[in-house]
Amino acid sequence: MIRRLVLIVLGVLWLIPIYLLLVNAFRPPANYDGEQIWTPDPELAFVDNVRAAWDAVGLGPSIAATFLYSAVSPALAVLLGALAGYAIVVLRLRGGFWWFMFIFGGTVFPLQMLLIPLFVSYSEVMLYDTRTGLILIYTAILVPFAAFVMRNFFTGIARSVFEAARVDGASVLRIFLRLYLPMSLPALGAIYILEFTLIWNDLLLGLTLSQSDPVRPIMTTVSALNSAYAGTAIPVVLAAGVFVSLPTVVLFLATQRLFARGLSLGQF
Amino acid sequence: MAPAVLLVAALLYAPFLWTLYLGFHEYDGLRPAEFVGLDNFIRLLDDPALLTSIRNTLMWAVGGTVVPVALGLLIAVLSYGIRGGTWYRLPFLLPYALSGAGLAVIWGFILQSGGAFNDVLEWLGLPGADTRFLLESPQNTLVMIMAFTWQQVGVNALLFMVGLQSIPQEPIEAARLDGASGWRLFRHITWPLLAPLTTVVVGLSLVATLKTFDIVWVTTQGGPGRSSEVLAVTMYRNAFVSHEYGYGSAVALVLTVVAGAVSFGYLRRQLSARRGLA
Repeated sequence: MIRRLVLIVLGVLWLIPIYLLLVNAFRPPANYDGEQIWTPDPELAFVDNVRAAWDAVGLGPSIAATFLYSAVSPALAVLLGALAGYAIVVLRLRGGFWWFMFIFGGTVFPLQMLLIPLFVSYSEVMLYDTRTGLILIYTAILVPFAAFVMRNFFTGIARSVFEAARVDGASVLRIFLRLYLPMSLPALGAIYILEFTLIWNDLLLGLTLSQSDPVRPIMTTVSALNSAYAGTAIPVVLAAGVFVSLPTVVLFLATQRLFARGLSLGQF
Repeated sequence: MAPAVLLVAALLYAPFLWTLYLGFHEYDGLRPAEFVGLDNFIRLLDDPALLTSIRNTLMWAVGGTVVPVALGLLIAVLSYGIRGGTWYRLPFLLPYALSGAGLAVIWGFILQSGGAFNDVLEWLGLPGADTRFLLESPQNTLVMIMAFTWQQVGVNALLFMVGLQSIPQEPIEAARLDGASGWRLFRHITWPLLAPLTTVVVGLSLVATLKTFDIVWVTTQGGPGRSSEVLAVTMYRNAFVSHEYGYGSAVALVLTVVAGAVSFGYLRRQLSARRGLA
């Protein structure tokens, strides 16, 4: 009984910020003042608020770009990671373990170690503020995790599968495409979902490597909207915050356990 | 194989080495980099903003780890095995899916001077109803850690739930039969069984909090007057606001060394402690 009580009290406490967020994201900016933040407004203006944010900072092009990054980069990373895992585990690439350590070692550096050279060299080769540039770096930071999971996954598949297919005369690439890739779809899907969320929520790389609306990832755009100098009405900022968080919140709640597993094997 | 290696080499390793190189140079992006030896690091030692930044970063690492991990463990243990446990955990999970920027948007609003947080303190008759939390140091760092806690508890609870489900049930059953329950059961049976997982969760959290950037940048931009800066923000400011790339690289190196040393030291201590037990 006490257990439930503690959980309920804490749970209610945890919901207060969500309540405040929703109540004020739905409030028309004209009715917003510092005194009345706790009571809901009878007028529901969420859609208008999102529209105001849309016009103020070009939310539309930015969301389109972010969808592109979150969809394409994890797909590329998953494919490259699967290929690397296949070469190391199934094809028994010579020195495979060291190649794997090399790829996985890429996760050790904090992003801060990469930002300045990326910014300088992207400016040199005209990749600064381009969608291609962002897709490239996002893919690079996602590959090590994908390779890590896929290497473990392929290790669990009996080697006789590969040998039997070889005896039947299938080429190495064909075995990958027809046998290993379909078998690993669940693992690939799991990595994909985790990495989608990671890219969707990125702020730092977007801040450093882009500036125009059609390139800028969404969290960078929202932070520009939120900055004190933008002078945007608070309900508009909050509505934009809710709006851009919807895809990842839904995805996360639908696949909770996946996240817990991904987290515990991912970064370490 | 080759594409993965090339991509990682070109976009992760090469920049890393380049930053290492720049840390010992003066570079503004226009004139060629000039070798200055340890000057950047000597300058850091004299920079009062850096000391504040290191202090705040350590506050983040300690506060942002201890509180969310402890609360996450509490919620996992309390909700484990009771009917409707998933529903009790839901409020804690909702915030986790938010990005750092989204979190900053919500809490910037709650914590603003005269905002919801001040209201709550006033109703409860607690001190601090008039405090301008985001404008005073070190309160600004503390309240941002509180916001981070709000976000992070759910995922820690989730990790501990998975842990609770995978530990052997026999010792717990046996202890129950012997009459252990509540705190004693947790302290002597569950906690030691969860220890390996706790090590991982704390380690993950330390590495992540040392690199805190998003929430601070979006909430305060490290201000006012650089008082809430953390190392990641200092690095960004030196490099991309002041355009002192060499100096920014030096901060990035300090951050890397601190993060590396902390995680290495922590893991080594934990591993040797566990070997001592065995």
